[in-house]
Formats: sequence, C-alpha cells, structure tokens
Amino acid sequence: MGRGSEMVGDEIVLRVENIHKRYKDQEVLKGVTFEVRRGETKVIAGPSGAGKSTLLRCINLLTKPDKGRVWLEGVELTDPETNINKMRQKIGFVFQEFNLFHHLTALENVMIGLTKVKKLPKDVARKKAEEALLTVHITEDLWHKYPAQLSGGQKQRVAIARALAMDPVIILYDEPTSALDPQLVGEVLRVMEELARKGVTGLVVTHEIGFALEVADEILFMYGGRILERGPPREVVFSPKHEVTRKFFENITKLYGGK
Amino acid sequence: MGFWEEFIPLVLHGAVNTLWVLVISIPASVALAIALGSARVYGNAPIKAIATAFVVTFRGFPLVVTLFLLFFGLADLGIYLTPYQTATLAFVLCGGSYMSEYVRGAIRSIDIGQSLAARALGMTKFQELIYIILPQAIRRALPGLSNEIIYQIKYSSLAFVVGYEEIFAVSKTFISRYFMPLQVFMVDAALYLAMTTAAAYGLRALEYKLRIPGLEMSIR
Repeated sequence: MGRGSEMVGDEIVLRVENIHKRYKDQEVLKGVTFEVRRGETKVIAGPSGAGKSTLLRCINLLTKPDKGRVWLEGVELTDPETNINKMRQKIGFVFQEFNLFHHLTALENVMIGLTKVKKLPKDVARKKAEEALLTVHITEDLWHKYPAQLSGGQKQRVAIARALAMDPVIILYDEPTSALDPQLVGEVLRVMEELARKGVTGLVVTHEIGFALEVADEILFMYGGRILERGPPREVVFSPKHEVTRKFFENITKLYGGK
Repeated sequence: MGFWEEFIPLVLHGAVNTLWVLVISIPASVALAIALGSARVYGNAPIKAIATAFVVTFRGFPLVVTLFLLFFGLADLGIYLTPYQTATLAFVLCGGSYMSEYVRGAIRSIDIGQSLAARALGMTKFQELIYIILPQAIRRALPGLSNEIIYQIKYSSLAFVVGYEEIFAVSKTFISRYFMPLQVFMVDAALYLAMTTAAAYGLRALEYKLRIPGLEMSIR
C-alpha cells in the first residue's frame, strides 16, 4: 500500500467512464474506466503510445473524447451543458513541457489564474501565490524571475504552484519529470510527494517507479488504449498478472536503477 | 521675402499636418491590425471570413485608389470627408490590413502549450488571447510592425492627392512659384528622414523595453 492511505476517504472525486478516443485511423483509447478518491494519488504507467497523455487530456477536455463520460465531484464534465471553463479551474494540470507563460514572472504565472479566472483581488491573489510558491520551495529570490531564467526543475515547481494555487480538487500530472535533466528530477518528485502526503489528490502519468512505489495508492497500467491491469503498486510492479506488464516494469526498473 | 524665409515656415506647417495625421493613424492602424490578426486566428467562421475579406480588400487596393474612393467616391454617396479625415482613414484601413498579417503570423508562432496551459487554468478563449497570447505575439510582431509604421510615415505624402496640406503638398505648390526643386525636395527628404529615423529609434527602444529577460539572447 502507498503512503497515507489513512487520508484517503471513500468519496469519489473523479470518475472516468468508458472513454474512447480515435485519431483518424488509430484508436488511442478503447474504453477506459476508473475513479479517484479524495486524497488519493494514482499513478498511470505504460509504454509510450498506450494513450496515457491522451487520457489525461480527455479528463479536463483539452482533448474531446469521442465517447464516454467524466465526472468531477458529481458534475459531468462531458455534458455539453456544463461550463467547462468553470470546471477546469478545479482541475490542476501540470505539463511535461511546463508551459509556463513566458512573458510573466514566476509570481505572475501563479497569480494570473487567481486574478483573471477566479477574479480574486490582487493582494489576496498575491498572498495565495506566494504561499503556493513557498509550498513548492520556490523562494522569494526567484519570484520575480522569468521562466527563461529558471532551471527546468524550478520551472516545473512553479507550474505545480500555478496549479496548486487554484485550490484544485485534483492535480493531473502529465509526465512531469520527463523533460528534466536527471539531476533535477528529484526536486520535482519530492514536491509531488509532499503534496500527496498533505492529502492533495493526484493523478500522475509517470515512468518514475520509485515515486509510484513510495507514493501511489494504486497503479493503473495502460496498454494499447486500455487499462490492462491495476492494483496496489507493489503488486502491479513485482507480481503482475500479465507478461507485458512484467516486461514493462522490468525494463523500466533496469533503466531507472530500481529500488 | 526670400526663398528660405518663405519656404521653411510653410514646410514646417506641412510637417505639423503630416504628424497630425500620423499620431492618429499609426496607433489606430496597430489597434486595427491586432483586432484583424486576432479575429483571423481566434474568430469563429463568420468573423474569420469578414476579417479576411477586409484584409484582402484593403491590402489589394492601391492606397491612391482608397484615398480617391473615400474622398470622391463617398462624396458621391453624400458622405463628405475632409482631406484630413480621408487621409487618416485611408492610412488606417491600408496600414491596419498590412500590419494584421504580422500580428497573425506572430499569434500562430506562439507555442500551443501556452494555449493549453491557459485553457487548463479555466481561461476562456478570449482571456487566453488577451492575457497570454497577445502580450507575447505583439512582442514578436513588433519588428515587422515597425517596418509598416515607417512605410506609413513615408506614404503619408500620398495625402496630397486629396488636397491635404502635408509636407509634399505644400512643397509641390511652392515649386510652381519658385522653381527650385532640388532645394525643396532636399528639405522634404530631410524631414521624412528625420521622422523615420526618430520612429525607428523609438520603436527599437520600445522593443528593448518590452524584452522578456532570459528569453531573447540579445536584442542589441
């Protein structure tokens, strides 16, 4: 079992049901169903092309699923009547390539969602943004730096703060450490782990097996557009039911030095 | 009164008139360019179509024809514009259309990740455009826009065709009295050069002021 399972309640905050997505002649998602409970950290693993990133984008509808439904705290996001912009405020999204706003400082990057989307007064937004930055260990000396003046690890932590400051119901991480130099991966994973331990609900696409074993409550292993198997991290990584799962984790453990 | 005593006040009066058009037409052209460029990328189908038709039209008309159409053509329909109004409007329509292509190109050059991050925060398409895309796109468009602004300063001399008393118009009239084209046009050329040089420096300074630290290797 992962870390603080005592913090995981019974309340389902995210429900994903039978999601399908096709790009031209390729069916990327072939019916994915799962749910995330409040306080839980779920890791999605699987080979590239398995549909992990597409699945994540189908959740906040950055990509529109062809079929299937998504609920956040009981509100159906896939319902055309739902104000998706309003709902996206509640879903943090951390990108592989950070996607910080180039023309804004670290502090402004975190503030802009609060002032322009949540319409908070500037001083309130600023305070909230500063708190979020401190939570991800971005100290005051970096607040007025522009993204191009930050290291990859710092950028990704600012991006996490940008998501966090919005008080999201859940944060979706799309391979948050894949674009980082190896020596910078640790600082980002540490922040993610701290957030998870504080009870911030997370859905993490990652190849970081160490993180999954330490932090995740469950691993969803995706293969060919489906969840091939799922379960407690140790079970899925060390005694999987399927040969492809075993091979995948064996390769990855070799690659990352294992635990 | 000699040539210079008479010509210098006259041509300076023309220069003031030229500037009077440009201080309105340049900012208005840039504003129109931003609106048109944005509409052509972010607008829905009808807005896109209208903006595209607008650009194609006013970019396709020779400026002289636009000036005549506004001055004489509209008069035929009972709408009388003064030479000043005609010149200003024509420069805005023409300049805005040309400049909008720099804005459109700059918007399209912004990495899609910027849009995705804006939308993921819950921004509407419009908020994304205003707060995230345009501040970056306008910076990128600025060198191209500067080019068009300098063009507009020079092509303002065309306002003489509708009888607007700008630098070139007063000079032409003046030559018909004193036949000293070399001196007259040298003064004109110097005045235009002074204006375009000042604009070039000003725009360069603006570019420098708007630079994003760390993003641009070196601006100078």
